Amino acid sequence: MSLQEALHKLASFRTNNTRDSQETFEKGLIVLRSAGPKTLGEEGWAFLEQLMLASVDVGRLDIADQCLKQLNDKFPVSPRVDVLRGILMEATQSSSTVLAYYDELLRINPSNAAIWKRRISVLRRLGKVEKAVEDLNEYLDTFYTDVEGWLELADIHSSCNQYTHALQALSHALLLTPQNPFTFLQFAETAYSSGDIPLALKMFLVVIDMNEGEDEDAIPMGISVRAWWGTKLCTRQLVVSSASHTSHSHTPVAKNIKLIDELATERVLTAYSGEQGIQARNLVSNWMSGR
Amino acid sequence: MSSNAVSLYLDPQIRDWVLFPITLVMILVGILRHYVVVLLQSPPKEQTRAAIREQRAISRSQILRATAGHSPIPPTFYTSISQHLSSAFEAGTYLKDGPPKANTPSTPPNPITDPAAMDGMMAGMKTQMVMMVPQMVIMGWINFFFQGFVLIKLPFPLTLGFKSMLQRGIETPDMDVRWVSSLSWYFLNFFGLNGLYRLLLGNDNSADSSRDMTASPFAAPGGGAAANPVQDYPKLFKAETDNLAFAEGLHTWVGADVESRVLRKYRKLAPAY
Repeated sequence: MSLQEALHKLASFRTNNTRDSQETFEKGLIVLRSAGPKTLGEEGWAFLEQLMLASVDVGRLDIADQCLKQLNDKFPVSPRVDVLRGILMEATQSSSTVLAYYDELLRINPSNAAIWKRRISVLRRLGKVEKAVEDLNEYLDTFYTDVEGWLELADIHSSCNQYTHALQALSHALLLTPQNPFTFLQFAETAYSSGDIPLALKMFLVVIDMNEGEDEDAIPMGISVRAWWGTKLCTRQLVVSSASHTSHSHTPVAKNIKLIDELATERVLTAYSGEQGIQARNLVSNWMSGR
Repeated sequence: MSSNAVSLYLDPQIRDWVLFPITLVMILVGILRHYVVVLLQSPPKEQTRAAIREQRAISRSQILRATAGHSPIPPTFYTSISQHLSSAFEAGTYLKDGPPKANTPSTPPNPITDPAAMDGMMAGMKTQMVMMVPQMVIMGWINFFFQGFVLIKLPFPLTLGFKSMLQRGIETPDMDVRWVSSLSWYFLNFFGLNGLYRLLLGNDNSADSSRDMTASPFAAPGGGAAANPVQDYPKLFKAETDNLAFAEGLHTWVGADVESRVLRKYRKLAPAY
């Protein structure tokens, strides 16, 4: 692998936000050995940051330390380097030391969002979920537009079975990324878990509706398989007794529920019509017919 | 265009010792200015948590309102967020200094007394000074040494209207408009060198002085920390509550009729139209 090729690959990882740590690490090592970041110019620093994160991921802390040292020499007061140092400390030192380090940084500059987020993640990992949620709420109250933060909050709430809170967090994430079907899907599944079947059904249908490329002739792929399965799970319950299902969000049960149920059955079965799906198809159709 | 021989002969020394020096000095001063402005620029001031929160509170409701017509979230969730926001705006929860006291009259903030706003203004004044002083010096230099010089003849004919533009400082009624005086050459450079600076220093250079002439010193140049002037947040919040109330009336959920849309898409239901 030539140096140029490695550099090119690494640059594309950076632009695409790929976290392929093992490969990044191997390629980065080639660059580090043969050229050194000083010869790369301005781009070299971004490369060092990338290599450092990758080497923490693969556990080569010596390389990470080396990268951090070079970055620190160049940018001694950069908050971004502070974050990197914190990440390395998380890998090597006890959580209480890291927390103390983050607290100190936040005391100096309370509006450092990156440090704040890292601290929340450490808190969660330590099992101090209450403190993490409290902090995360305060963080999101300040930096409302952080979708990642809202999804994390939803995840924490879901892990504690607090689905109503999770749904609230997800609704903020939806407001921020109304174009992302995966957020809708997560909302739908969380609603399903919380027992709000009519709401879940609507949201699953929204996911399907968003998937414009697919029509009746296409075989459902990827996200829409999951969405159709979700739809089927919901309609299966609603067809039996649509009246008995209460919705916390007062969502009305969808009209034409029978038609939707039929359509969902058909689409799910279509999804298993490919070469690989054919064995599973019998299983699925058995499940479909058995109530 | 006169057919007779050239009416005026220019000494080549004028070209070498006046025309080129003026141009060169102006280019170099522009480049110098760029670097001085870069040096003068103070790093953006770090804001406190409460200030960021106050600044971004409006955007929360704007985000909520932006999708109200086809909202991704169901009505119950929407109204709870919307009502929470408007009550918070009314109570002043998001204000930097906490909710206002009941009896103090609300006065719009005075930019002179707010130190943060003063900093922004000072930065604007500093760059303004850096551009005004050298230009004044150059103009004085040209006026003092080269007043009334004719520097160059443009290679194309012009109408009489350009006379005041091209022959500033020479009061002759019947000289051909194509002759350019020293002061006019200065102005031509002053307004015309931006393209060259862009080539030399990149796109967001601060060498071009003609652009800054139009900017007021109170608006900080090039965005930066003081890009948003002092705002009367209590008033903004009050206006936003009205907007929220409007948007709440407009709210429709994308999921409201989604089943029919999906059924139509898969042709299980007759099209609506």
